[in-house]
Amino acid sequence: MAISGGGFKRKSKASDQIPSSSLADIAFLLLIFFMVTTVFRKETERNIEWPDAAATQQIDEKRQNIMYVWVEQSGQVFINDQPVAMENVSNMVAPVWLESNGRLRISLRADARTPYRFINSVQEEIKESGAIYVVFATDLERQMQRVRR
Amino acid sequence: MAILNKKQKVSDEIPSSSMADIAFLLLIFFLVTTVFPKDRGLPIVLPEAQEEVEVSQRNILHIDIMPNGSVQLRRGDSQNTSTVSPRDIEGIWRIEVAQNPNLIAAVKTHPDAQHRYMIQVLDGLQMAGAERIALQMLEG
Repeated sequence: MAISGGGFKRKSKASDQIPSSSLADIAFLLLIFFMVTTVFRKETERNIEWPDAAATQQIDEKRQNIMYVWVEQSGQVFINDQPVAMENVSNMVAPVWLESNGRLRISLRADARTPYRFINSVQEEIKESGAIYVVFATDLERQMQRVRR
Repeated sequence: MAILNKKQKVSDEIPSSSMADIAFLLLIFFLVTTVFPKDRGLPIVLPEAQEEVEVSQRNILHIDIMPNGSVQLRRGDSQNTSTVSPRDIEGIWRIEVAQNPNLIAAVKTHPDAQHRYMIQVLDGLQMAGAERIALQMLEG
């Protein structure tokens, strides 16, 4: 058998192993990133069917200034995992609105199949509480799905 | 003392070989529990309570949403209604607002109409750049 390299076998100085000493640094970097970005969920999501809208935009406000008002198909309103009677919604929203110095955004997470009478009642309640910024939570509708004229 | 000086076999360094394992374990935990916020939607600003503004009928485009999702359009100063699909609202608004920049969209939804139909119309209006939108419930 011929000796490769014509017999002049040079000893390679480079190690053939992936350097693993910096692995821990990489892991900790990623770890710190996820620790910082993690927001533990305060309330459970209700099972609703999201309406779709192409004009959906990100709410431009800090998370602590967003209040979720869930409306189920039956018209039942939920705030902070608690069922709330329609006439009590404004009482729930008003103190939060006052505390937020006018920055509060209400994310109205209503089921797509909810009859509008309930949505209207919730809007009236929010209006009564003084809060004026409402966002109808929607899913982004892909342009592809949309039947264009 | 000097006689009993045994060579210590235990290393005086913290073992760092398992550091990566610990880090990855924590990393996977945070990866799994991270929920990126999904705060999106169609923003509107509600009128403040007891705020009533007189608007000339000429500047109003009535958009009535029926329980079956169809949309009836009526200009404020005319009696003619036309039935359109929510998908057409975007194009109609662009044409109408070009003729009258002061136009206000008065969206009235039937109490039995599903929330999604109102969202479709609101979506069309926002896609067309409408800013003056009033949301009401259809009476009678």
